[in-house]
Amino acid sequence: MNTFLQVLTNGIMLGSLFAIVAVGLTLIFGIVKVVNFAHGEFLMVGMYLTYVLTTWMGIHPFATVILVAPALFLLGAVTQRFLIQPLMSADDDHIQIFATVGLSTALINLALLVFGADIASTPASGLRTPLQLGPVRLLSGQVAILVASIAVVVVLQFFLSRTQTGRAIRAVAQNRAAAQLMGINVNWIYILTFGIGAACVGVASVLIAPLYPTSSGIGTYFVLTAFVVVVLGGLGSIGGAFAGAMIIGLIDSFAGFYIGSDLREVAVFGVFLLILILKPSGLFSSRLNLSHVSP
Amino acid sequence: MTDISSTSPRPQAASNGWMLKAIPLAVILASLLLIPVMVGNQFVYHIFITICIFAALSTAWNIVGGFAGQLSLGHAIFYGIGAYTGVILMNMGISPWIGMFAGAAIAVVAAVIISYPCFRLHGPFFALATIAFLEVFRVLALHWRELTGGATGLMIPLQIGWEWMVFRDRLPQLLIAFGLLLLTLAVAWWIRSHRMGFYLVATRERESAALAAGVGTVRVRLAAVAVSAALTAFVGTFHAMYLTFIEPAAMFSLQMSIQIAMFALIGGLGTVFGPLLGAVLLVPISELARGWLGAHALGLHGFVYGVVLMLVVLFMPNGLMGLISRFTKQRRERGVSAGTIAASAATPTAAPRAPIGADVMRVEHLQKHFGGLHVTNDVGFTLREGEILGLIGPNGAGKTTVFNMISGFLKPDSGSVTVRAADGSWQSPATPGDFATIGVGRTFQIVQPFAAMTVEENIMVGAFHRYSDVEEAREVARETAERMGLAPWLDAEARGLTIGGLKRLEVARVMAMKPRILLLDEVMAGINQTDVRRAIDLMKSIRDSGVSIVAIEHVMQAVMSLSDRVIVLNSGKIIAQGEPREVVRDPVVVEAYLGKEFIDAQA
Repeated sequence: MNTFLQVLTNGIMLGSLFAIVAVGLTLIFGIVKVVNFAHGEFLMVGMYLTYVLTTWMGIHPFATVILVAPALFLLGAVTQRFLIQPLMSADDDHIQIFATVGLSTALINLALLVFGADIASTPASGLRTPLQLGPVRLLSGQVAILVASIAVVVVLQFFLSRTQTGRAIRAVAQNRAAAQLMGINVNWIYILTFGIGAACVGVASVLIAPLYPTSSGIGTYFVLTAFVVVVLGGLGSIGGAFAGAMIIGLIDSFAGFYIGSDLREVAVFGVFLLILILKPSGLFSSRLNLSHVSP
Repeated sequence: MTDISSTSPRPQAASNGWMLKAIPLAVILASLLLIPVMVGNQFVYHIFITICIFAALSTAWNIVGGFAGQLSLGHAIFYGIGAYTGVILMNMGISPWIGMFAGAAIAVVAAVIISYPCFRLHGPFFALATIAFLEVFRVLALHWRELTGGATGLMIPLQIGWEWMVFRDRLPQLLIAFGLLLLTLAVAWWIRSHRMGFYLVATRERESAALAAGVGTVRVRLAAVAVSAALTAFVGTFHAMYLTFIEPAAMFSLQMSIQIAMFALIGGLGTVFGPLLGAVLLVPISELARGWLGAHALGLHGFVYGVVLMLVVLFMPNGLMGLISRFTKQRRERGVSAGTIAASAATPTAAPRAPIGADVMRVEHLQKHFGGLHVTNDVGFTLREGEILGLIGPNGAGKTTVFNMISGFLKPDSGSVTVRAADGSWQSPATPGDFATIGVGRTFQIVQPFAAMTVEENIMVGAFHRYSDVEEAREVARETAERMGLAPWLDAEARGLTIGGLKRLEVARVMAMKPRILLLDEVMAGINQTDVRRAIDLMKSIRDSGVSIVAIEHVMQAVMSLSDRVIVLNSGKIIAQGEPREVVRDPVVVEAYLGKEFIDAQA
C-alpha cells in the first residue's frame, strides 16, 4: 500500500512537472496554431540561464525567475516576429515545422558549443531535501513545482477569460480574420502569445534546474512528453494540458514501477499514438476546432 | 509549394531544357565518383561516401516527405531497422547482401503498419506521430539487449571481402554507396515521371479532389512509404557495414531523421534531384568541421545546419531547385497570357442529340442527419442516359449534401444509391473510388485545383483514371484542355488561374476521366456572362456525347435552357420536380425561394 502511495505521489509530482512545461506549449499551439518544435530548447536555454545566474552570481535559483522569465519572453517574441510571422501565410505547414526544427537544432548545438557536452548542475539550494509526508517521501523542490504549476494554470486561465487582452487572444484563436476585422492587431497578439508561452517555460526552467542536471539534450527529453500532454489535453486547452500532464505523469510512474523503468517511454508514447490516431482532438476538448486534422 | 513543372519530363518542349538539367546532373554524379578516386585521400573518400549515403537517404525520404507531402521525422526507424537487421544477420553468418533485403522487408512491414493509421494526421501531427514511433523503436532497441546489444551496441564481425560488404579499401565502399545513390535516384525519378508520382502530388495538394479523380489515396501513399522505407533500409544496412559499429542512440536518432529531411528541404522539397543537391552542399560542411576542428567544434556543424535551415525556410522555401527553375523559366518564358478565352475555345461540333435512354442511376429514400439537423429527408430520383437533371433550391437546401452522398463522400444514414455499370449490371458503390471506377465523376462547388501542378498535370490526374501511360494521359489532357478552352494555359500553374479558369479546370479534370455520369456542382457560379454561354454550349456537347449530367445550379438561364428535368430541394426535401417551365411557376417553389409574402403580394 505504501509503495502504491509512493508511486502515486511520484506520478503526481512528475505530472506537475510535465504540466508546467506543457502549458506554454499548448498556449502557442492553440492560439498561434504553430507547433513549436523548439519549445524544449527554450526550456534548455532557461535552465542554462538559471545555472549561470545561480553559479556565477550566487542567487537562489527561484530568485532568477525575475530575469529568466522576461528573457524567455523576449526569446519567444523574437522567434514569433522574425521566424514564424513571415511564414504565417505559407500554404504548406511543412515550412513552419522546418523553421522551428531549424531553431531547435541551432539552439541545441549552440549550447554544445558554449557549454560543451558536460552536464551543468545548478546548486540544489535545499530543494533536494526529502520531506516525509505520512507514508510518502518527496522533495521540497517537487512541492514547489506542484504549487507553481497550479498557480500558472490559474493565472493563465484568469488572464485569458477575464482580461481584455486575454479575450482578444481567444478571439484570434477562434477566427483570425474576424478578430482582425474587430480591430485586434493580430500580429501583435501572436507575438504576445508566443512570448507568454515562452515565459511560462522560463518559470518552468527555474523550477526544474535545481532538480535535473542541465545538458544540451534536456529539451528533447521534456518536450516529447510535453507534446504528448498537449495532444492528450486538447490543442490550446490550458486545463486540458494540466489534466493530461497528470495522466501522463501517473502512466509514466506506474509503468516505470510495474512494467520496467526502461519501458516507461514506450507506455507514454503508446498512449500518445493511440490518442493521436483514435481521438486527435484530445480527451477533454470538444470545443476547439483542430484545423490541422482532417475529418 | 514545389515546382513540379521543372522535374516532369517534357519531350516536346525543346530538348535544350532537358540538356540544361541533364548536363549539371551528370557532372555532379561523375564528380562524386571521380574526385575521390583522383585525389586518393582517405578523408576525401570518407566525405564522398557520406555524401552518397545522405543523398540516397534524403532522396528516399523525399518520396514520402516531398512527393506525398507526409512530413516524416521518423525515417531513422527504417535506417535503423536496415542497420540492425544487417548486423544481426551478419553475426549469424549471413551476408549483408542478403541482410539488406531482409532489413528492407522488415522496414516495409513496419512502414505500412506505422503509416496506415497515421495518414489521418496532417502536418505537425503526422510529424509528431513519427517522432513518437521513433522513440518507441529506440527504447525497444535499448530494451531487447539479447538481440540488439542494448546501449552497448553491436560490432560487426571482422570478415572482409565483397561477400561481407566490408573492405580495407575505400574504393569498393564508394562504389556501393554510389550504386545505392543511383538506385534511389532512379526509383525517385521513375515514380515522379509516372502515374504514381502524379497521384502522390495530387493527393498532397487536395485529397478530396484526388479521391474524386479515382485516386486510391491511401494505397498510393502506402506504396510510396513502402518504397521509401525499403530504400532507406538498404542504405542503413550498408552504412552499418561502413561504420562497423551501431548503437540505438545513433541508429534511431531524431537528429538523423531531421538531417535527412533537411537536405531535401534545402535542395528542394518534392523535386527529384533536390535532395542530392542539398546533401552535396551540406555534408562537406559537417564532415570538414568534424575533421579539422575535432572536439573544439562540438556542435558547430549542427549550429550551422540549424541556421541554414531557418534561412532557407525564410528566404527560399522552394530550395535550391526552386532557385534554379526560376532562373531557367525566365529564359524560356513564352507569353502565354496573351491568348484570350474566346479565341481559343473550340466550337463544339453540332452532332444530333441522342435520345434519352434507360435509367443509369437510381437514388432511393436518402436520409441524412447532422446532429439534430435533418439535412436530407427521403430524397429519391432517377437519372436517365443522356439526360441533364437540374438540382435547384435555395441556399442551405441540402443540394451539396445530396451530391456528397451520390459520389461516395458522405455515407447516407439510410437509403441507397445504385448505378448501372458499363456492362449493364446494377451496383451500389460506396467510396469515392468506387464511384469513380463505375464512371461517376464530380466537380466541387469550391474549386479544388492541385495548386502546385500545371493545368496540364491537373487534367492528367483525371486522365490517368483511364490511361496508365503518361504520354497517352498527356494526349487526352491536351485534347480536353483544347475542348475546355484551357489550351493557352497548359503550362501555367493552376494557382495562377482566375476563378472562371479554375471552374473550367475543375470540369476538364473530371471530363478527362471520361465519366458516364457527371455531377456538376455550381460550375457557373461567379463566372461572367460570356463564360456562362460557353459553359452552356459545352454542357450540351457533353450531353450529346451520351453522358448523363446532374447539375446543381443557381444560374437560372442555364437551368432553364439545359435541364430536361428539374428537381427542387428545400430544407432537405424534394418539393417539386418536372419540366423546367412548369417547376418555376409552381407556387411552392416560388415560396421556397422568395417567401410567402411574395406570393401574397402577387395574389
